[in-house]
Amino acid sequence: MATVLQTIVEKKHYRFIDGEGVTWQEAVRLSAESLVEDGSVSSDYYKQIIACIEKYGPYVVFDHNVAMPHTTENATGAFKTGIGFMVSEKMIDFGVDEDGEKKEANLFFTLSSVNPDEHMNNIQQLSNIFMNDDLLDALAAARTPEDILAAEAKYPCEEE
Amino acid sequence: MAQLDGKRLLACCANGAGSSLMMENAIKKVLKKYDIKPGELRHCAVSEGKSAARNYDVVFCARTFVKNFEDVTKNGTVLIPLKNVMSDKEIEAGLKEAGLLD
Repeated sequence: MATVLQTIVEKKHYRFIDGEGVTWQEAVRLSAESLVEDGSVSSDYYKQIIACIEKYGPYVVFDHNVAMPHTTENATGAFKTGIGFMVSEKMIDFGVDEDGEKKEANLFFTLSSVNPDEHMNNIQQLSNIFMNDDLLDALAAARTPEDILAAEAKYPCEEE
Repeated sequence: MAQLDGKRLLACCANGAGSSLMMENAIKKVLKKYDIKPGELRHCAVSEGKSAARNYDVVFCARTFVKNFEDVTKNGTVLIPLKNVMSDKEIEAGLKEAGLLD
């Protein structure tokens, strides 16, 4: 079976941006753009993600500057399960968390969830990717879809 | 190390779709490592978890959501807040600190 990163490349669910002066709200919108293009989500799906982060804070930004913007399963405007991947050359500022710790991200995995099995599989694989620091560094340096595949080939996640 | 056998475990995040699933997977890793059979393990959104938590023995959530669960700890539910929701090591340490794991 294809890995989530292979699927991202195959479905063209990626964006590479410079990120200079881009707000986190704009970054969330851009990260969902590739999902909008093939009808995986509606063009205003990203607004629900922004509302959620505004409500609960930047809890979707994990260690190692990885963001996983998402909403609920079967959210309005989510039509297919998928992951919108985005690399920003500059760090995107998400403000501070409840401890006053600065949160910023340069890797985005924006989720759309419709099919529970597919979503579960995506989440499991993403957990492994997010714990793989070498892979994350290589992905942050990716500027083309080929770079994504090369990063995964070089630093594969262990099979569970 | 049987303190957790048969216990009811709940993982909560904002939407019940992203980080709570990651938590559930990480919790499963710990349970497997110690060969623990929980009574129940599920994940849900904080909004649901707030009222459901009283029916669980242990609730896991990201630190952001701790204030939502202050009341339930009064009824004996153990709350384990996590900084990194996919870290099985942090879950393991949290359970040990709570005296639920040797």
